[in-house]
Formats: sequence, structure tokens, C-alpha cells
Amino acid sequence: MALEVQSFWDVVLLLVLAIAVAPWFGAYLGRVYMDRPLPGDVVLTRIESAIYRLLGTSPRRSMPAREYMLAILLVNGAMLAFLFWFFFDQASLPFNPTGVPNMTWDLAFHSSSSFTTNTDFTHFTNESQLSFGALDIAWQLALFLSAATGLCVMAAMVRGFVRKDGTLGNYYVDMVRTISRVLLPISIVGALILVLLGVPETWTATVIAHPITGGTQTIYLGPVASWQTVSLLGTNGGGWYSANAASPLANPSAVSNLFLIFLMLLIPFAAPFAFAQIIRRKGEAWPFMGTILIVLVIAFGLFVAFQAVNNPALASVTGLGPQTNGYPVGQETRFSLPEGSLFQVVSVYGNVGANNMAIGSVTPVAQMVLLFGMFTQSTPGGEGTGFGMLLLFAVLAIFVGGLMVGRTPEYLGKKIETSHIKWAALALLIHPATILIPFVVAVAGGFVQVDGATLPATAHNFTSVLYEFTSESANNGSALSTGAFTDSTPFFNVVGALVMLVGRFVPIWAMLKVGDLFSKQEALPPSSGTLRTASGTFTIYLTLFLIITSALLFLPVLAMGPLAQIVGGM
Amino acid sequence: MSDELPLPVPGSEATPTPTDPAPRILIAPTAGAAPASAPTTPPLGRRRVPPSHTLGTHLRATILFLALSVLLSGFAYPAVVVAVAQVIEPNSANGSLLHYPNGTVAGSSLIAQNTSAPFLFWSRPSLTDYNTTLGADTPPGPTDPALGQLLNETLNYTREYGNFTVNASLPFWFVAPSASSIDPDLTPEAVLIQIPRVSEASNLSIAFLTSLVNAHIDTSIVPYVGVSYIDVLQLDLDLLPLEGR
Repeated sequence: MALEVQSFWDVVLLLVLAIAVAPWFGAYLGRVYMDRPLPGDVVLTRIESAIYRLLGTSPRRSMPAREYMLAILLVNGAMLAFLFWFFFDQASLPFNPTGVPNMTWDLAFHSSSSFTTNTDFTHFTNESQLSFGALDIAWQLALFLSAATGLCVMAAMVRGFVRKDGTLGNYYVDMVRTISRVLLPISIVGALILVLLGVPETWTATVIAHPITGGTQTIYLGPVASWQTVSLLGTNGGGWYSANAASPLANPSAVSNLFLIFLMLLIPFAAPFAFAQIIRRKGEAWPFMGTILIVLVIAFGLFVAFQAVNNPALASVTGLGPQTNGYPVGQETRFSLPEGSLFQVVSVYGNVGANNMAIGSVTPVAQMVLLFGMFTQSTPGGEGTGFGMLLLFAVLAIFVGGLMVGRTPEYLGKKIETSHIKWAALALLIHPATILIPFVVAVAGGFVQVDGATLPATAHNFTSVLYEFTSESANNGSALSTGAFTDSTPFFNVVGALVMLVGRFVPIWAMLKVGDLFSKQEALPPSSGTLRTASGTFTIYLTLFLIITSALLFLPVLAMGPLAQIVGGM
Repeated sequence: MSDELPLPVPGSEATPTPTDPAPRILIAPTAGAAPASAPTTPPLGRRRVPPSHTLGTHLRATILFLALSVLLSGFAYPAVVVAVAQVIEPNSANGSLLHYPNGTVAGSSLIAQNTSAPFLFWSRPSLTDYNTTLGADTPPGPTDPALGQLLNETLNYTREYGNFTVNASLPFWFVAPSASSIDPDLTPEAVLIQIPRVSEASNLSIAFLTSLVNAHIDTSIVPYVGVSYIDVLQLDLDLLPLEGR
């Protein structure tokens, strides 16, 4: 298919719009976390103060990194326990109109870990294995709180650059303000827009339809629009339906598809500007924004280009019409090739993990493009934590650059020392560790099975298992493996849950620790030897550093899976 | 540098009086971490810094925060959106349902059904037999031999029962499985080639059916966004009374 330039106009316009909104919304986010006056204070400040009193905390009680982490672990741990109990016991809990049975302990552990860590990787089929109440009450709680936790971590880490008293803020206050000032207002407006675009929003759980050709069809409904909005805004990526954003009820048209992309980009694009607002140097946002955009646009370009080519494996199928509007297997009719592809690339690169296509069906190069986004985790990456990761990449890049030219590495006037690098490297290296070790154990231990039989070691099966753990470690949640192998086994459930928990909370601790170290340092005045980070040179250096580091960490395993698939066509 | 990053915020560190509201920016120095730049900031000594949270405070805050969040996220938030949605757009809020003339629910305009009867226009094939529960039924991977097999089977079935000639080339979108397995839409091209069969089975003229199909081509509410397509279930339900069924 010839790619038509004019078919790109709407996705380009959407990206331009998302970039245009980012500085403004980022400044707003920065003000939220620095407790500055905001529109809505008249009403919300009173409510927030009442909540702080109820919780027994106050904005004046700022926490050092260790206490901030304790609060994160308490809230997230309690949420994990609540979700586990709900899924493990959903048959006897209220709001189960379709009579869904309980989850097994291992599936409940995987699911609750998955939602708590902002991953939303599912080893079950929503419609038949999750009750209405589990979706609305348990999962939706995690949609809000896991997204808010990510943003709080970013805020706490960035405050380390401007604080000198060794504290990073109050986690409970940050959570309350994230929900009241960011997630809730945008979600309400976004959900109503989705309803106008055709998404259901009702308390009715199911409707039985009577098709023309006989039989019955169960149509699952519910508060889909409100659920889906916070899922994508908070880079969770779970779907009310098992078909996620490919389901025509959740994503009815090309326009709703564009709107969902905008929701996914809103907070990750604003994060660098929130950072710049908090440190009060507007120019420092652009190297990060530039890095994110360069990687994202290259990924999108590659994805579209390789979805437009003919699949050589189908040369023997006679009578297949020419490919128009991209490769149609596992795609939905209503999206154009650029629209559908941008959703998928943004979703995976933003660690949202929602699908509007069957990604197991995309071409091998496109699969590798998606994998790469989860290797970097930071372009733009998940809510808050993606930008935190990018800051750690910047710290490492400045350190390496400083060593190469023989300068004392410093960022924003703060010296980068061995201790910073240790924590940044930990966050960087825990990712391949939690991908590659379980991957090797799963493949070598014969755990990759379908119907009890171990799968042959083809490149596609390798890719499926690699994608599974990469998605879990990056807290992404998109699945290539659905149907490729049985994923709801005790091995994949328990190991997957542990991978997600480690892949979430170890980098969070590293981010807080780096913020903590910076918060105890004095800022040095800039000198002639200071590296200018708000520059195009630094942007390109950071981009290359990020791409090369990520590629080097994962090249061997790419050779076994996707590269072999591309070359060998297995 | 420290001029550029003034902390605390000027003005927020006025000497507290009993009626002074809590400062908006917290400065809670801990012992030994007194800022070296202290001379440039007013002394903090007279304000009582709240003690850090005890574990008990943390546990209480955690439990109460979760309870509040459940009420908000699981009940209040969807309730508000449902209430407004049911007023502003009840049709889509209730699932864009389509009805027979007698009021029975036929389906949703957003969900494909099995319409593989000679007198109806067919949708894209479904791996779940148009069941809305997707499960693990995703299309085979691009290099999987099962993919060619599946497409060949679909092509053969469609040619045989769809009244096409033996080696007819069919639009790729017409035989490729979709992501959701309930994709209700088809490209206009794939609907138009079905007209001869529908005409034969229903005694409606080809010209009439062509104009009916063309009238059903969906264009987006925003011009030039997306591709043009036809909602097959909607078309079939409009076709039924015309065929006298």
C-alpha cells in the first residue's frame, strides 16, 4: 500500500496539540505539587484540609525519603491486600450480577499486583472472570491510586532538587491533591466527552440481544466511559472489556481513538514541564521533551512503515485482495493506519499498555518497536515514574559525559556523586534482571505450555515470553502472548506478580533516594565548566545515550526472538 | 544559583502569630540538616515543627485514605458521570442499542453479529463466533503457519457460501480476523461485492441495494478523520423490512 501523506494530517495535528498543551498543563502540575494557589482553591482547599485532618496528617509534616517510601508501601500494600481479597472472594461479594466465580489464589495475586503497580497486565478474561463489583470497586481504586502514586514519586523526587532540609513532601497530601486537582476533574470531563463519542456509561451490567440469525448475544455494559478515561489518563491501560480499546464499545470511532491518544499523552508530556516549574528553570524541560519526541516519532514512523508492507508469509494465499489501509489481520476497520498505529505506539511507549489492535498479529519489526519502548520505560514512560526514569537516565548521561571530558559532573548545580550513580544504575539494571532471569527460567524450565504440552522453541514463542516479562517489568501491561501460550499458570502468575512488584517499587525507591541525596546538597553557582543541559546538544546526547544503553542491555535477547523472526521468518 | 532557587518562598516565612495560617510551603528542618544558607532566611526557631508521623498515624492515614478512595473511585465518580451521561446522551450511554420494530433488542450498532445468511450483508469473520467475550482467541501471529491456513479456510468458505466465483479475489479486510472479533464495520468495497448475492436472495434490485449501501457509508463527525466504513448490522437491520422479513 502506498502511504498517503494526507492520511497523516490528523495524527500530526494531535501530536502538535498535545505538545502545545504540555507547557501549560505542566506548569499547572508543578503548582499542584509546590502547593501554590490554583483555580478551584476556594472549594477544594477546604475539602482537602478536612481530609488531612481526618487522616491525621498535615501539609506541614514533610517526610524524609525513608518515611515517604514507608507511606507508599503502606498504602500500596493495603490496596494490594484489598484487591487480592476482592478477587479471591468475588463470587460471594456484592455486585456480581453475572455470577462470576472466585479467582484462584495465584491468579488473584497476579491480578492485584498487576493493578497496584500500574501495570494492568491481565491473565484472565474480563467478561467471564471478573465481577462487575471487582471491575468498578477494586480495579478502579487501583486505576486512581497507582496513577497518583507515580505522580507523587515524581513530585517527591523533583522536590529534592529544590529542597535543602532533607525532606521530600507528604505522601498523603500529595495523593489527595493529585486526585482532587488532576485525576478527578480531568476524568469527569474526559468521561463525558467519551460518552458523547459513543461509549456506554450506565449501571446496567448486561443486555441480552437477539440477533437476526437466531440465538442470543450478551452485550456487556457498565460505567465504561468513566472507567476507561481514568485508565488511560493514569497510564494504567486496563480495559473494561477483554478486547481493551479494540472493543468497539470502548473505542467506537476514529475520533474517540484520537481522544484516547490525547488522554494518554496529557500527563506524560506535561511531566518535564512540571519538573521545570518546580525547579524554576523553564528551559530544562525541553531536553527531556525533545528526547521523548525523537524516540516516539521514530518509533511511530517505523511502526507505520512496517505495518504498511505486505506480509511475505501470505504470498501462498491465493485470492487475497491488495492490502489497503495497512495490514488488516488483528486490526479494526474504523481506524486508519496512522491513527491505529499512533494509539498503539503511544500506549506502549507511555507504559499504558492498552491495545486497539491484536499486537500479537503485528509484523515482527513492529513488535520489536513496541518492545524497545518498554526497554527504555521513559519515552515518555508511565505516569510520573516514566519521567523519574528519564531523570535517572539524565543523571547517568551527565556522569558518563563528565567522565569523558574530565569535568566534575553536576546537574542543576548539584554534584553527581558515586552514591547517585549507584541508585540510578540500580533502577536501570533491575529492569533487565527482572526480564531476563524469569525469561530464562520459563524457557529452560519448560514452563511455556499450551494445553499441558511444552511449546516448541520458535522465534515467535521466544518473543511472546520475552514480551510477557518485559511488559510486566516495565509495568506496561500490553500482552503479545494472549493465546500464544497458557499464561494463567501458577508459575507465570506468581513470577509475573513478583516481577511487577520489583519492577515497580525498586525503581521508585531509587528515585526517592536520588531525590533524597540531592535534597541534602548545596547548589553550586554555575561556572565556565558547567555543562549546559538546556541545550540542543544535550538533548541529542541524552537521546543517543538512552537509545544505546537500552539497545546494549537487550540486544542479545532481541536476537533470539524478534530479530530471528524477521530474518528467519519462523 | 541560590538566588535563582529561593527557598523558602519569600513571604511565606513571616514570623508566625497565633492566627497565622499554616505556611503553604513546608520547611521542616531536622536536627543536623539545618540549611547552610540559613543567614539569608529568617530563623525558624520559634515555629513548632510538628513531630514526624508515628507508625500509628501512618496506619490510620492509610486505612482512612483507602476507604475514602474506594467511596470516591468506585461509587461517587462513576455515579456522577452516569447521572450526567444518561441525560446528555442516553443512546450511547446505554450501549447504542438497535431494536426491531416490535421493540426487542436486536443488538448494538457497535457490536458485530453473525449475519452469514444469503439475504444479509456479512460482517468480518469472528474468532469467537461473535461472542463478546474475547478470551484467548486472538489472530495468529504474522509468521505463524496457522495464519495462512485460517485465511485460506475463510476465503474458501466465503467464496462457497457467499456466491463468489471459485478463484475470486476478495478484499483483505473482508476475510481478515479483527482484534475485537466483534468489529461491526466493513470497508465499502467489501460490502459492495456482496450486492449480487443479496440481490439474488431478496429480489431487490442491484441498483437499489447499491444506493442503500452508499447511503450507509459512515463518515466521521470530524471531516477527513478516519476511513470510510459501513456498519453492517445497522445496514442489515434497515434491509430486513425492505425485504419483507
